[in-house]
Amino acid sequence: MILNAPEQHADQNNAIPLTVIGGFLGAGKTTFLNHLLRQASCRYAVLVNDFGAVNVDVALIASHDGNTINLNNGCICCTMADGLGEALIRVLSAPVLPEHIVIEASGVGDPWQIAEVAMLEPDLQLAAVIVLADAEQLPAQLADSYIGDTVRRQLRRADLLMLNKIDLVDAARLQTAHETLAGLQPGLRVIETRDAKPPAMLMQFDHATTPERLPLFAPEDTPDHGIQRWLYRRNIRFEREKLERLLDSLPASLLRLKGWCWIEGENAPFLLQMTGSRWSLGATEKSSHPLLTSLLGEDSLLIGLGTARLPEDAVLTALFESAFAKTSLEMPVA
Amino acid sequence: MPATTIITARKIITMNPGLPEASHVAIRDGRILAVGNAEDMKFWPDAVIDTRFADKVLMPGFVEGHSHIMEGSIWPYSYVGYFDRVSPDGVMVSGLKSIDAVVERLKAVSDAMSDPNAILFAWGFDPIYFNDRRMTRLDLDRVSTTRPVLIIHASFHIINTNSFTLQKVGIDRSTNIDGVPKDADGEPAGELQGPAARIRLFRGLQWNALSDSVSSDSVRRFSRSAVINGATTVTDLHNELTELCLADFRKETSAADFPMRLVPALSRIGATTEQIIERIGKLKTTNSEKLYFGMVKLVVDGSIQGFTGRLRWPGYHNGAENGLWYIAPNELDEIVGKLHAAHVHMHIHTNGDEATELAINAIEAAQIAHYWADHRHTLQHCQMASPAQFKRMKALGICANLFSNHIYYWGDQHYAITMGPERANRLNAAGTAKNLGVPFGLHSDAPVTPLRPLFTAWCAVNRITASGRLLGPDERLSVADALAGITIGPAYTMRMDHLVGSIETGKFADFVVLEQDPFAVDPMTLKDIPIWGTICGGQVFQAPKP
Ligand SMILES: [Zn+2]
Repeated sequence: MILNAPEQHADQNNAIPLTVIGGFLGAGKTTFLNHLLRQASCRYAVLVNDFGAVNVDVALIASHDGNTINLNNGCICCTMADGLGEALIRVLSAPVLPEHIVIEASGVGDPWQIAEVAMLEPDLQLAAVIVLADAEQLPAQLADSYIGDTVRRQLRRADLLMLNKIDLVDAARLQTAHETLAGLQPGLRVIETRDAKPPAMLMQFDHATTPERLPLFAPEDTPDHGIQRWLYRRNIRFEREKLERLLDSLPASLLRLKGWCWIEGENAPFLLQMTGSRWSLGATEKSSHPLLTSLLGEDSLLIGLGTARLPEDAVLTALFESAFAKTSLEMPVA
Repeated sequence: MPATTIITARKIITMNPGLPEASHVAIRDGRILAVGNAEDMKFWPDAVIDTRFADKVLMPGFVEGHSHIMEGSIWPYSYVGYFDRVSPDGVMVSGLKSIDAVVERLKAVSDAMSDPNAILFAWGFDPIYFNDRRMTRLDLDRVSTTRPVLIIHASFHIINTNSFTLQKVGIDRSTNIDGVPKDADGEPAGELQGPAARIRLFRGLQWNALSDSVSSDSVRRFSRSAVINGATTVTDLHNELTELCLADFRKETSAADFPMRLVPALSRIGATTEQIIERIGKLKTTNSEKLYFGMVKLVVDGSIQGFTGRLRWPGYHNGAENGLWYIAPNELDEIVGKLHAAHVHMHIHTNGDEATELAINAIEAAQIAHYWADHRHTLQHCQMASPAQFKRMKALGICANLFSNHIYYWGDQHYAITMGPERANRLNAAGTAKNLGVPFGLHSDAPVTPLRPLFTAWCAVNRITASGRLLGPDERLSVADALAGITIGPAYTMRMDHLVGSIETGKFADFVVLEQDPFAVDPMTLKDIPIWGTICGGQVFQAPKP
């Protein structure tokens, strides 16, 4: 299979993906991060507010110097006790750079403020803002006069909401939580989880910067938050305006979309990335073109991840085909 | 027998209600041996008589219950605030009443700098006084187009830069974040806000004015500011107390000629509550005559003029959305509960009345779970507390340290923009605190406003805003109560009233030397009383003449 090419150094962009983990106190952020450090799919650098709650197996710790814990699996965990900036500088000047940086926002902080760091630092790129919420507590928190506005602020620009601890609520209360969220913020991407386990496929998706690194072939027998994949590959050209309009109106069950798209009138593929409802469509770097050509020829490739409610393949395919340029060659699917 | 000195003065205001006034004070070993009149001094016939202050007025050295070491570290940079300000070296720096005046001052500084690439950093600017005409990069391009020019606002949250800086750190029209506002042409306007813009700025310049804030020089400069302003006991109210910082604090405060007692409050940032309890316990065992540990600082909300303070209904007068929690309400209960049970003395920053309410609730719950009669937990700023809240504070033994300087510096804005008329009138309600018997101090939060306790007392006595509005006449204090608010009042909130804050036998021989009697001058000129200098532990420190 052509996409299963060996890793090559042709990243379009060497910027390190950065994910922000937000959510109110008690939502499960630390549990999430503990999972991430234990079952790392890459060299994570995890920045936490304090080490107090981080609970890494002693056997996993290679060294601990006060500010930084080095793990045997290549991950590191740093405190931000002396500030986010200082912690980032430590991580980015380490002898081995991390492959993915994950920052824990404070329980009352606005995770978007940290996300802006990734948008501004040239050696970072924003992967996602993931916000956790306690399924049982959330409706009461949103209604609380002291903290309701703080929780709403945290959700405001989440790319993904992990509705956590669903095992502690009955179906009716879970439904209430979903309805509250839908009413509050239409279009918010929501997945359910019991123990704040990071959706591995999603995390992997977020640090893939080239097609061959995407999680196309994760074993089907490891259900991962019921996350569905959608794959589309075809030798067609999109009409830019139509595509942009489509990207603004995709169903909330589509959590992620990444692709290399040919746009009418352009002579190289464009990189499309959609995280939650936030998307970008930009020119690919010239240095990546030989690899892209060897992998894709002149095909457009789209890979999506969605919740269990993701529409059927045919429905999504039809949506994207509505954004074809009129002149696009109608070729059979490769 | 150790040497005894008797200081004579025109008047000694003791702040001890049992003997409010005296003319002589005997000193031995840096402590007060006796206070009284000439007759009372007959028991020490061999004492050296010091008549240098015979025509001056002595009071207990002022106690600044809420200031920061940054008062010492910020002064090497150019001051460009709206109001006149005296540097720690006694130099009067005039306030700048227009953006053009700011540009002009900085242009002169830039032209005089020998290194053409050096960064020009200035502080104290506040656009709130310019009818919201914001400073832009084009303004600062008139200062320099070849070196970075940065101005940090009085709030310490926003930085203005010139175009050279923006280009150097890679911020341009393609930058699309909330923290970089754009002008009408889509270019960055020049203001940088929030953590992302600040990190980019300091990484891009490979320089951070705010990170190396503590050094021996800063501690020394801080102490010079204390001498000039008559303070002998001064807090540094939020400090992570790294080993590096502690080493500087210990070195400077152990020097024989160090002119003040430094009282840092340990920040809880980056540590668990259990770690904080352990650290503060250890630090307390290292206390020395001029360095005191014991207080822990918690910050519950932001500031009112920055719209980050947490308010109860009806919220901000201008409709701005409610402010920010820096500690979650339920987390506050847990932290306060644990610290209280471990008998850790807390200083809790609450600006808005909703933050005040939660802090009171937390202390109430902690007090029910674990009774501690004399905890003296203190709400810092506590600017918007209502009478009902002060009554609860009284019942629970909670102290207030009020930010009276706000009345002058931002009172007009609180009246018109943030609080509206009635609530602005009860801003820093020292009169209510006094009437209800809530122990209180009055503070400056230097360098946010100048470290000048007499000015702070003047604010509490007169409640006059910068534009001349009388804000809440019924909350005005008598001169005597205001003077207590800068001496024995804050000393009590710091658990140091057995050592400082009044002139009594056994306490440290810490005095401020005034040229005039605060009770004899027109209360409207209280702030203008010249300060000759201070005496700390019996050692005399003359302030430089302005
Ligand atoms: Zn302060």
